[in-house]
Amino acid sequence: MNMMPGLSKTETNIKLPFSFIIYSLLAFSASQIILFFSGDFMTNGTFRIPPLWMVAHLLLLGWALMVAMGAMYQLVPVAFLTPIWNEKFGFIQFVITAVGITSFALSLAFSPNLTMITGILTLLGILMFLFQMAMTMKKQADKNILTLFVGSALGSLLLTISLGILLAASVSGALPLTNHIAILKTHIVLGVVGWFSLLIFGFSYKMVPMFSLAHGFSMKLSKPIYILYILGLFLTILSFWLNQTYLFQLGMVLLFVSFTLFVWHIKRIIKKRLKKNLDKPFIFSLIAIVIGWVIHLSAMVSSFIAISSVLYGAIIYLYILGWIVFSIMGYLYKIVPFLWWTHKYSKEMGKPNVPTLKQLMNEKLGMLLFTLCLISYLGFIISFSFQLTNLYTIVQSLFAITILVFSSTVVNILRK
Amino acid sequence: MELKEKILKELETVIDPELGLNIVDLGLIYEINIDEQNNVDIKMTLTTPGCPLHDSITSGARYVLEAMEEVNDVNVQLVWEPAWSPDRMTKRAKEWLGA
Repeated sequence: MNMMPGLSKTETNIKLPFSFIIYSLLAFSASQIILFFSGDFMTNGTFRIPPLWMVAHLLLLGWALMVAMGAMYQLVPVAFLTPIWNEKFGFIQFVITAVGITSFALSLAFSPNLTMITGILTLLGILMFLFQMAMTMKKQADKNILTLFVGSALGSLLLTISLGILLAASVSGALPLTNHIAILKTHIVLGVVGWFSLLIFGFSYKMVPMFSLAHGFSMKLSKPIYILYILGLFLTILSFWLNQTYLFQLGMVLLFVSFTLFVWHIKRIIKKRLKKNLDKPFIFSLIAIVIGWVIHLSAMVSSFIAISSVLYGAIIYLYILGWIVFSIMGYLYKIVPFLWWTHKYSKEMGKPNVPTLKQLMNEKLGMLLFTLCLISYLGFIISFSFQLTNLYTIVQSLFAITILVFSSTVVNILRK
Repeated sequence: MELKEKILKELETVIDPELGLNIVDLGLIYEINIDEQNNVDIKMTLTTPGCPLHDSITSGARYVLEAMEEVNDVNVQLVWEPAWSPDRMTKRAKEWLGA
């Protein structure tokens, strides 16, 4: 019989992930409210303006990055069976990153000359996170494919923010860049494709079997998926620097093939599940995988036909929303009750009247919110495709309200 | 009822909050050893290594057994080998999950 030493010490202080999660929900809500007023710019593809720089970074850093950090403080011990290296360091990292991201987003919109300083503060917070994760993951006894996915995601994050600092220096006027466009494209691709997608791949391999109670499936396919995705990422980035369209097309093809294999693999894992009726939030995250596949397909097809940068901008936005944001929303609706239950009721286990996890979350409301998200998504596709500003504004107001209700529902779990 | 049966009955009140099933029906209890002084030693596992509920579930098992008058000391060991598999579940558990 084999005991796993130190397992009881792997659970993280709940305040740490919750700090990140609550901040991220505020940033998410703020970004959606600002987007409500940005209809003209969004539908005409005018993305590179200060208000939308602010929104992009509130959404990607304030919401997606911070919630990913919070989730990782919870999930890394679960997935890699090793406790967080230093929780106090984690709390300090939270404060620095939150102040950094808030000030950086605001400086992008209102004081571009300050982006260097605020960007460096953000960079410091993210570097501290990367250091924390490196120190935590190096203690992992048996490294596996999940280590590779998550480790590569963290590496992409490091490269993304390094390039981000160069861009911030350029925006603030401190450093003129001759290859600004190549750096910007690399920054975006490393961030959304490298960091977020690789991270979701990695943690999906832990969470999908966990939430579906899948058993007896093979993980063999994960290695070619990883290799193809990394190769696709590399070739795509190389194409920006060498200005070679065929490299870009090849990169897009490899990313699409890898993602297709990933979808198929997840389908095979789900087929081996024991829990026939899946929770609705988890189903939403699975739908996000399908959306991700459609976007990868669209990006690949678009690389072979002449499309405008406006359309590419729309594809990137829909990628962020439908694959990254929706994945996070689905998993968050499961993770937060889980965290709260562990904090409030774990010591009551075995005693009468201890609620189940399902009783902590309002699944009916969740279903409504996820349905509204999907309806909004279709609305965004139509409004971008036909440049319909009025439709965009209506859809964005629906989506913003949905997100506000989602955020308050998640926070309300903490009152149960 | 024998003490071992009573212990299993008490362990059935410890419910996995994610699945809504008790740890006996899930097949998580590997061994129950009782010595002459009625000290109880339990070997159990979980469905997923690294499951964040491991502390809660093992504490829950300890709590319900310590509350039994007939039982003295309780020791609950969490083990990972042999690995849990679905065939350890009872028919009732499988039906509950729809498996």
